[in-house]
Amino acid sequence: MTRPPKLSVAILGSGNIGTDLLIKCLRSPLLRPTLFVGRNLNSAGMAKANGLGVRISDRSIQAFIDEPDICDLVFDATSAQDHQVHAPILRALGKVVIDMTPAKIGTICVPAVNLEEASKADNINMVTCGGQASIPIAHMIGKFSSDLDYIEVVSSIASRSAGPATRLNLDEYIATTERAIMSFSGCRRAKAILILNPATPCIDMQTTVFANIVDPDLPALRKRAEEVVASIQRYVPGYELLVPPQYEHGRLVITIKTRGLGDYLPSYAGNLDIINCAAIAAAESVARISLLKEATHLA
Amino acid sequence: MRLPSQNESITSDLNCAIEPHLSALAPLRNSELLVTGGTGFVGSWVAEAVAYLNDHHSFETRLTLQSPRASQFARRHPHLGRRPEFQLQDIDVRNLLELPRQAAWVIHAAASPDARQHASDPTRIIETIVSGTSALLKAAVRSSDIRRILNVSSGLVYGAQPLQLERVPETYFGSLDPSSFTAAYAESKRLAETLCASYGSQYRLPISTARMFAFVGPYQMLDRPWAVNNFVRDAIQGSNLRIHGDGLTVRSYMYPADMATWLLVMLVRGQDGSAYNVGHPDGVTLLSLAEKIAGMRPKEIRIQTDVLREARSIRSRFVPDVAKAGRELGLSARFDLDTSIRRMMDWATSEAC
Amino acid sequence: MPDILISDPTLRDGNHAVQHQLNAHQIAAYCMAADRAGIPVVEVGHGNGLGASSMQVGESAIDDATMLRAAREHLVSSKLAVHVIPGFATIKRDLALAIDLGVDVFRIGCHCTEADITQRHISHCRQMGKEVYGVLMMSHMASPSLLRDEALKMQSYGAEAVVIMDSAGTYLPDQVTERISELVDRLGVPIGFHAHNNLGMAIANSLAAVKAGAQIVDGTARGFGAGAGNAQLEVLVAVLHRLGIDTGIDLYGVLDAADLAEREIIPKLPTINSVSVVSGLAGVFSGFSTHVSRISTEYQVDPRDLFFELGRRGVVAGQEDVIIEVAIQLQRSKR
Repeated sequence: MTRPPKLSVAILGSGNIGTDLLIKCLRSPLLRPTLFVGRNLNSAGMAKANGLGVRISDRSIQAFIDEPDICDLVFDATSAQDHQVHAPILRALGKVVIDMTPAKIGTICVPAVNLEEASKADNINMVTCGGQASIPIAHMIGKFSSDLDYIEVVSSIASRSAGPATRLNLDEYIATTERAIMSFSGCRRAKAILILNPATPCIDMQTTVFANIVDPDLPALRKRAEEVVASIQRYVPGYELLVPPQYEHGRLVITIKTRGLGDYLPSYAGNLDIINCAAIAAAESVARISLLKEATHLA
Repeated sequence: MRLPSQNESITSDLNCAIEPHLSALAPLRNSELLVTGGTGFVGSWVAEAVAYLNDHHSFETRLTLQSPRASQFARRHPHLGRRPEFQLQDIDVRNLLELPRQAAWVIHAAASPDARQHASDPTRIIETIVSGTSALLKAAVRSSDIRRILNVSSGLVYGAQPLQLERVPETYFGSLDPSSFTAAYAESKRLAETLCASYGSQYRLPISTARMFAFVGPYQMLDRPWAVNNFVRDAIQGSNLRIHGDGLTVRSYMYPADMATWLLVMLVRGQDGSAYNVGHPDGVTLLSLAEKIAGMRPKEIRIQTDVLREARSIRSRFVPDVAKAGRELGLSARFDLDTSIRRMMDWATSEAC
Repeated sequence: MPDILISDPTLRDGNHAVQHQLNAHQIAAYCMAADRAGIPVVEVGHGNGLGASSMQVGESAIDDATMLRAAREHLVSSKLAVHVIPGFATIKRDLALAIDLGVDVFRIGCHCTEADITQRHISHCRQMGKEVYGVLMMSHMASPSLLRDEALKMQSYGAEAVVIMDSAGTYLPDQVTERISELVDRLGVPIGFHAHNNLGMAIANSLAAVKAGAQIVDGTARGFGAGAGNAQLEVLVAVLHRLGIDTGIDLYGVLDAADLAEREIIPKLPTINSVSVVSGLAGVFSGFSTHVSRISTEYQVDPRDLFFELGRRGVVAGQEDVIIEVAIQLQRSKR
């Protein structure tokens, strides 16, 4: 029996995000994780990877310089500050990079909207969790209105799913999400709001998109919203339409909910899961393109 | 390529502080020193002191500064970062596996004293201090040339200083409430001291401890949430100085050229298993500190104590007894508060930070 | 120097009651009267603070800059304060503007369990030499010891006072005493209290806070504020004066300011209506009240059911979008 060809990928960053990505990669029919890289062999992520039989390294970015052929694609799940250093090195090594940090160096990818185009880039950026949840909806609203003034996205997440870095960087989250909303929907003004809710049991991530549209075609919007949600569910199984398009108090309102898969992270952390699911979708698209190229080349 | 030179006032201050101890420091000559947390306030001043010893007294001491972002520090302070006998390594002390091959001396100063970080991320500071110290000591056990490790601890290990106790001696231990996250830093520092004592006992590692108090001078960052940093920052901006409580809280501030000298002397001459306070023995109330700082600015600056009449006076005191360092190591603080503040202001205005 | 510092958020909390429609003329008129009365701190802005004008919580009639300019011009001896919630307001966009426009006091708030999101905002304002308080909103949703820990965090970031808010108007005086005592006991900075009147306890609770050692108390003219309104400023001042506690505020001055507020800015005096009683019992943020009454009419559900369900879900300030979701759910279960 021949094994189906897979794209070899490595994960840089052995924290919660990196470890969850690893589990998702192992499940993918198109990706083969060949190396899991961190700085400390004693970390929980390293132990998990080792237990899953994946090769590990504590040499950080040096691991790729030492062994440039180890993979074709690298997920960088470190920090924005570190990604600034890693990006040029990985580019020189000819790696496709999927950037999980808010470094904003590469092309923004929201799989439901621009998967094909973004997966041609050599540095693919996954925006923010709120961006992954709301941009497909904002983009859809943009298609319904030729002159869209304003979009607003409000995400509520479980307090426990927001780590110290997220809490310290709310301002960057807001700025990055707003910029992406404007560029994908074509609206002139955008506002992003992030709310942390400490309730126990933890709440699922909930995102509401508002727009100021006069006289929206609700039946058409509802039909289209269902299609968009279905297309996202293909790569984020826990994504669902909670409040279908409503017109209330002069505003269009749509609410979605994201529940996580609970791979390495708890299932209430839908905010972390959605960005990881999107990254896997992007990597699989890169894999398809490159495996197709190889196949044509062989033929 | 010519090396950018050391700031002149830092050179002359180090000269004044170190001069009396040159012969005591002789064992540092032609040897290698590792500083963990090497790019923080303590590490920067140790580096300045070693640079001074090498430039003016031909010590030929090699220095390795380790911290998670040491290369950024090297770019920011090229007069230290580009010295051929200085090595800057991007290493988080928690991940330290072995010491530089020939390291004879270690100053272990890795841990941010920023109370804001301790509040937001207490588990991280615990891990940095406890796992970091443990990693360092494990590596030291396997190292052949270690002559002494100086563990940089904190005066906060004493818990709250009673108001009637003028100066805290090394033998005083009050109490800390371990049940609150606010104890994370102090309790970790205590455990780090116990770790050092245990490695000392079990593996005969030569370790001394320095318990740090408060410092004023160059390399202090004005955004740190401490009274003196706030006063200097507000005074430079020309705004009022605000004091909480009745202004009778007492602190003392040592000049960092003294601090660096003390640490090097303790490293070389300290007793194994001994702890020494490092700080200035003369207390000052926050009110007179504010008056001093306001008086140094050309423009009139008002001092605003509490906005409310019945201010609850939550006074505290944080002043070391440094008799032991004087008696056993011949150390004394050579700089007074006025000079220290003036240097901090000059540095802050020139660095525009 | 007064014994107790009165902070007056009439022009901020009151904005909730008029769906954030206060205009520059009203702000100017009230500021003039407040300044004349010697009210030490006057808070101005959208009900949810700087940068909060939005579809989620309501859009302001005029932007932050216009509000702050109108207030600044007419506050001579009173300090100008703003409410700031990280997650809505950012340092670059909103704090920078307020600092530029001469705001004196920054009250950086968050849900009572999330103090660490205020670290950068508090540090930044302190660095700019501004006066900074930490504000713990919806404080009934945390235990006294958790509240104390969150307040300690704010103190460590540089907050020069910590104010706890009874944002849902749900406390009884003993609960206030317990919490304020714990904070006064454990913190090194002054403690403040901000009341709502859903259960008719605003003045009694403010008094309990003062007796337990609180040094900052919020009150609004005629109680103009979200839901059932706040502690009524002029009553608070009178009660404190009767107890011999000096606020530095002139009684006639504050009465005049309150009369002016009733004439010029308050379209409908706050009352404790049936829905606000339920909202207080349910422990839901007072700012929800105008949204709940509108949406319950639109979706034909009982606003009391809506409030109880929101309370059961543990929603926090800023989660106004959940109201529609819950209304639709109630509507479905009715059928």
